[in-house]
Amino acid sequence: MADTLYVGKPARRVDALEKVLGTAKYVGDYRLPGMVYARALRSTLPHARIARLDVTPALRIPGVLAAITCDDFIDHGRFGFPVPDMYMLAYQRVRYVGDAIAAIAAETEEALQAGLEAIELELEPLPGVFDPVAALQSDAPIVGESPWDAPELPRGNLLTRYVVRKGEPDALLADCAVTLDEEYSTVHQEHAYIETEGALAAPWPSGGGTSPSGGAGVTVYASCQSPFVNRNNLCSVLGLPQEDVRVIQPQVGGAFGGKDDQMYQTSGQVAKLALLTGRPVRMIFDREESMIASYKRDAMQMRIQLGADRDGTLRASKIHAVVDSGAYAAITPFTAWRSSIHAMGPYRYDACHVDTDVAYTNNGYSGAFRGFGNTEVCAGIEQAIDQIAWEIGMDPIALRLRNCLRPGDTTPHGQSLGDDVALAECLEQVRRLSDWDRKRAAFSAAQSEPSVPGAMRRGIGVAAVFHGMSLGAEGADFAVGTLAINDDYTLTLTSGLTDYGTGSRTVFTLIAAETLGLRPERIKMLRPDTDTAIDSGPTVASRSTVLGGNATRVTAMRLDSLLTHAAADLFGCQAAQVARHGERYVGPNEEPASFEQVVDHARQMGLTLSTHGRWNMPEIHWSFEQGQGKPYFAYHFGAQVAEVAVDTGTGKVEVTGIWAAHNTGKVIFPQGALGQLYGGITQGLGYALIERVDYDSGYMQATNFDEYLIPTAMDVPEIVGSFVEKPFAPGPFGAKNIGEPGMVPTAPAILNAIFHATGRHIRHLPANLERVLLGHDLRKEGSNMACKLGLRAERPQTTLQEAV
Amino acid sequence: MKIELTLNGAPVSVDAPADTSLLELLRDHLDMTGVKEGCGIGECGACSVLLDGRLVNSCLTLAAQAGGRKVITIEGIRGAEGGPNDLQQAFIDYGAVQCGYCIPGMVLAGEALLARNLEPTRAEIREAIAGNLCRCTGYQQIVDAIQATAIKRQENSNG
Amino acid sequence: MERFSYVRATSIAEAVALLNEPGIRSRPLAGGTDLVLLTRAEPALCNRVVDISLIPDLHRIHREGDRVVIGAAATFSEVIESPIVVQTAPVLIQACRQVGATQIRNMGTLGGNVANAAACADSLPALVCLDAVARVLTPQGEREWPVSELVRGPNRTIIPTGGLLVSLSYPAPLPGSQSVFIKLGRRNAMAISRLTVAALGRLDSAGRIAEARLVPGSATPQICRFNAVEASLLGQAPSRDLYQSAARLTAEEMIRLAGRRWSSEFKEPALIAMTARALAQVFEPERRNA
Repeated sequence: MADTLYVGKPARRVDALEKVLGTAKYVGDYRLPGMVYARALRSTLPHARIARLDVTPALRIPGVLAAITCDDFIDHGRFGFPVPDMYMLAYQRVRYVGDAIAAIAAETEEALQAGLEAIELELEPLPGVFDPVAALQSDAPIVGESPWDAPELPRGNLLTRYVVRKGEPDALLADCAVTLDEEYSTVHQEHAYIETEGALAAPWPSGGGTSPSGGAGVTVYASCQSPFVNRNNLCSVLGLPQEDVRVIQPQVGGAFGGKDDQMYQTSGQVAKLALLTGRPVRMIFDREESMIASYKRDAMQMRIQLGADRDGTLRASKIHAVVDSGAYAAITPFTAWRSSIHAMGPYRYDACHVDTDVAYTNNGYSGAFRGFGNTEVCAGIEQAIDQIAWEIGMDPIALRLRNCLRPGDTTPHGQSLGDDVALAECLEQVRRLSDWDRKRAAFSAAQSEPSVPGAMRRGIGVAAVFHGMSLGAEGADFAVGTLAINDDYTLTLTSGLTDYGTGSRTVFTLIAAETLGLRPERIKMLRPDTDTAIDSGPTVASRSTVLGGNATRVTAMRLDSLLTHAAADLFGCQAAQVARHGERYVGPNEEPASFEQVVDHARQMGLTLSTHGRWNMPEIHWSFEQGQGKPYFAYHFGAQVAEVAVDTGTGKVEVTGIWAAHNTGKVIFPQGALGQLYGGITQGLGYALIERVDYDSGYMQATNFDEYLIPTAMDVPEIVGSFVEKPFAPGPFGAKNIGEPGMVPTAPAILNAIFHATGRHIRHLPANLERVLLGHDLRKEGSNMACKLGLRAERPQTTLQEAV
Repeated sequence: MKIELTLNGAPVSVDAPADTSLLELLRDHLDMTGVKEGCGIGECGACSVLLDGRLVNSCLTLAAQAGGRKVITIEGIRGAEGGPNDLQQAFIDYGAVQCGYCIPGMVLAGEALLARNLEPTRAEIREAIAGNLCRCTGYQQIVDAIQATAIKRQENSNG
Repeated sequence: MERFSYVRATSIAEAVALLNEPGIRSRPLAGGTDLVLLTRAEPALCNRVVDISLIPDLHRIHREGDRVVIGAAATFSEVIESPIVVQTAPVLIQACRQVGATQIRNMGTLGGNVANAAACADSLPALVCLDAVARVLTPQGEREWPVSELVRGPNRTIIPTGGLLVSLSYPAPLPGSQSVFIKLGRRNAMAISRLTVAALGRLDSAGRIAEARLVPGSATPQICRFNAVEASLLGQAPSRDLYQSAARLTAEEMIRLAGRRWSSEFKEPALIAMTARALAQVFEPERRNA
C-alpha cells in the first residue's frame, strides 16, 4: 500500500488543547441561567415492594420546584434493550440497593436534601437473592418476575441462556491423555471513570401545539456514550416526537461502557423535571452515589473442562458459566452472548460446548464494561490453557502456537477465518519482546532452589485473546458520517459515533484528511449532537474505527469525487486525468489548482459540497438454537506477557513488566492506539489484583476510592505496547480496532505469571494479598452502613478503619 | 465570612460560609471549572491545586485556610502568549490526554514536581503523580510528557 | 447554615486561648485531611475550627540538646525534607514518605496524625519506635506523655479537652543506629496500611545486638514496643534464624495483645515475614537491597 500522509503517522488528538488548558467543559461545568439541581431518592434495601410513595410533602419545602415518580412517564418510564425491564424510576418494586425511586428538582442543595427527606416512602422488604447460582434454584426468591402488565418479560430468575455446540466433548474428554476440570470466578468490576454520571436538561418552546408536552422540547446534555439511543428512549418515555428532543454529548470524563443505561435513566429524570419546571435541571452524582447506583461489569462463575493429547493438541472443551446480571437485564444478555462465543479461547477444538446461564439477583445490576464478557471468560480459559501446558510440561507459548487459530481455520462456531488473522505473529512478538525464553527458564530454575521464607519470587506468564469485532449478532450494525465544506474552506465532519476519551474524533479526522488529501487542521469534527449527526447505533464494542471510520471514508470519498469532478471541469479534461498531490489538483496541462480554487469552481458549478456516507458491517448469522454460525464478521487477536515479583511473605504482587502485541490491522492514530492499550492494560491489572466489588446481602462494601482501589502510577510498570499491522481489507486503510481487546488478556497473563512464581493457581479474582499468601480470601471489609450512608449527602466517616 | 486570596496572580474576595471547601469556592464562586471533583474525599487528585506552591487536594482544604495565600489552578498555567506552556504542550505532543478529566490535576502535579526537581527519574515522576488517579491512560504517556519537559527545562537552565 | 465558624490563630498562646473559649466547642485545624472529612460525617462535631496551620513555631524542627523537636503542625512533606530528621530518624522519614501521596503529605501533619490516632496511622509506630514524647499545652500549663501512652486505641487519645498538641520530640538515636519502616498496603500509594513494622537497632563493637526496638503497626489496639521480643534479641549475634524466631515471637505477641480475629490468619504470617525483613535491614543494612 502506498505510504500515507496522515494515517499511521504521528498526530495530535484534536481536542487535547482545551483539556490541558482546563477549558474543556464537562456536564458538571455547564451553568445555565435559572438552572436548578436534581437528585434521586434511592433504595436502601436490596429488594422491597413500594408500599407507599408520596412525593407531595417534598413540594411543600421552600425551594423545591418539582418531584416525580414513575407515573410521570409513559408506561411508567419502561425502557431497556434488549429486555425492557427497567424504569426511569422504580415501578412497584425496588430490586437493588441504589434503585432510583423518585427524583426532585430544587433551587439549592439544602432544599434538595430537605425535599428528599420529606418524601414519604414505605418499603416492605422482600426476600432477596445475592448469588446467581442460588438464584437459579427453584426455591429462590424471584427477582425477575415480570410485572403484571408486561407478560413478555422473562419470568423467574433465568434471564437468558446461550449455547455453542460443536461435536460431543464428553466422549472426547473421557479419552484424552490430559484433562482439566476446574472452577473459576470473577467479581463485578466498577468502571471508576474519574468523572461521575451527570446530565443537564434545558427546556425550550417547540411550538408544536399537539405535542403532549404542551409545546415544549428539551435538550439534554448527558455524559453518555450513545446520544441517539438516549434520544430515542427519551422520546418514548416522555411521549415527544424526535424533533422535540435533542441530546448533546459534552466532553465525557471516561465511560468504558458504563455510561449507557444509567445515563438514559438519569437523562429521563432531568428531562422530565425540566419540562415540569420550565427551568434547566442538572443532576450530578457524587462518587458514593455513582459507585452504589451505577451498573458494574457482571460477575461470573465458570466450570471449565479441557482435554488434550500428550503432544499438546487441544481436543475438547466444555464450559459452563453462570452470569450475575444483578437486578436488571441492561445489556447483560449481549455480554453473556459474547462470553459464550469467546469462552473457549482462540483455539481449534474437535468438540466444544459452551453453556451460559444469565441470572437475575438483587445485587446491583450488570452492564457493559470494556471487554464485554470476554474479559471475564478470558480470565478463566487462559488460566486453564496454561494449566494444561504445565501438566504436559510444555511451554505455554508453544502450546498456544500449536493450537491457535490461523488464517483459513474454522472456529469452533463453524466460521471460516480470513487471512487477517495474526495471532501466531502476536505470540511470537511478545515472546521476543519480553525475552520470554530466557526468563521462563531462569525463573523456573529459581523455583527449584530451597525456599527461603518470605523470599521474592519472580514469574512470567502469557495470555492470548480474540475479540469479535463490533456488535456481531446483537443487531443491525452500520454507521453514518457526514462531511461539508464551509465558506471558509474548513470542513465539518460528523459521526453518529462518539468520542468519550477514546480518540475516535481524531481517528475519523485523520481518515477524512487522508482520503481528501487535506491537512487535518482543516477538518473540524462536531461534537456529538442528535440534531447534526446521523444515528449510527451505540458507541460500544470497539466498533468506532471500523464502522465509523469506514463511514467517514465513504463520505470523504464521495466528497473527493465531487471535487475531482469540479477540478476536471476547471481544467477542461476528464476526471481520470486529474491528479491530486496533497492539497493541490493537477490536470494534464500541469498547471495546479489549489483546494480553495477547486472549491470555488465547484460552487460556481452549483455543486452542493456536502455528503454523507453509510457503511454496513457485512452480514453475519448465528443460530441461537444450534449454537453455530458466523457470530462476528472478523476478529481482533492479541497476546500479552506479564512479569511479576511476588513477595511470598506478604502476598504482595508487583507487576514488573507487561509486553503486548495486538493484531490491529493498520494503526490509524499510533499515539492514541498506544494510549488505549496502556489504559486497557492498567484496568486489567486492577481487575487481576486489587479491584473488587463485593456485595454483602446486596450492599456494596466499597463506596468510594478509599476502599475501591484502582491502580495508581506507582502500581503500573513500564508497558511495552506493539502492533501487528497485518492489513484487514474491509477496514478503513486496513484497520481493525483496539479499544477493548487491550484489556482482555492482561489479568490472565498476570495470574499465569503468579502461578509461575509461586506454583499457586488463583482461580478467583482478584488475586489479592490473602489469596496469594494463603490460597483463599478472608472475610470482606467495609460496611453496609457506609453503603447506606453513601446514598445521602453526608459522606461516611472515612477514618472508620477495618477492624484490626 | 469574607475570604480573600490571590488566585492565579490576581486578588479575589468572596463571601462564603466558613465550611466551604476550597474546591467549592473555586468552582462555584470563582468559576474555575478546570478544577474537577472526582471523589470528594481526597483520594483521586482531580481537584488538585497549588497552595503557596504546594500541591494539595482542594476538596479537603477549607477555603478559609487559603485566606491570604496564593492559589494556582490549571487556569493559571499558561505559556507566555496565553496558550499552553511547555508542560501542557508536552501533554498534547506525547499523547498524554484521553478523556481529559484528570489532566488539570496531572499538569499541576507535574508543575509541582518540576519546581523542585528538574532531573526526576521515571520512578520519581510516578511517585509525584501517585495521588492523581487516571482511568484512561495507564499513566505512561503522562510520565513521558513530564520527563520530556524536565529535560528541556534542565537544558534551558543550563544556558 | 455553616456547620462551624473559622478563626486563624497566629501564635500558640492565641490558639490555646481560642480552643478554651467558654461557650464554644472548638477543634484545632492543622492539615484538615482528617478534620474536613470528620465534620462532614458528623456535622455537629464542633462550632468552630481554630486554624493552627500557619503558626510558624508549630512548623519548627530543631534540636534541643540530644532531642529532636518537631512542631505538631509540621507537614509530612516538611518532615521528609528536614535534614535533622533525615539524619536521626530514617524510620520516621520512611513512614512519612509512604503516607498517601504528594497532596496528602503536603497538607497532613504529624501532630494531626497523632491526635486523630487512626488505627492504621503510619506515624505512630515510627514515633513509638523513637520513644517519642508528645507535648500538650492547656490553659493550666504544659503536659507531656510518651506517644505510646497518649494514644490509647483507635481514634482515642488522652489529650485533654481544650488541649493543643504542640510538639513531638525524640532522643536522637546513638551513633551506629539503623532504623527502618516497612509498610504493607494493597497498592503502592494512597494505601491504608494493612500492616507496618517500625524497627531500630544497633550493634556493639563485637557485632552483637546492643539495642533493639520493634513496633508493629495496624496490628494491635495500642501501639507499643514489643519489649519481650526486644529483650530476646539483646546480646545475640544477628542471624537469619534469630530474625525468624524473633518474628514468630512478635506474631505471638500480636495475638496476645489483639486477640485472634478474622484477619489474624493473614496477619500472622505477614507480620512474621515483615518483622524478619525489618530486623535484617536494621542489623545488616549492607544487605538492604538484596
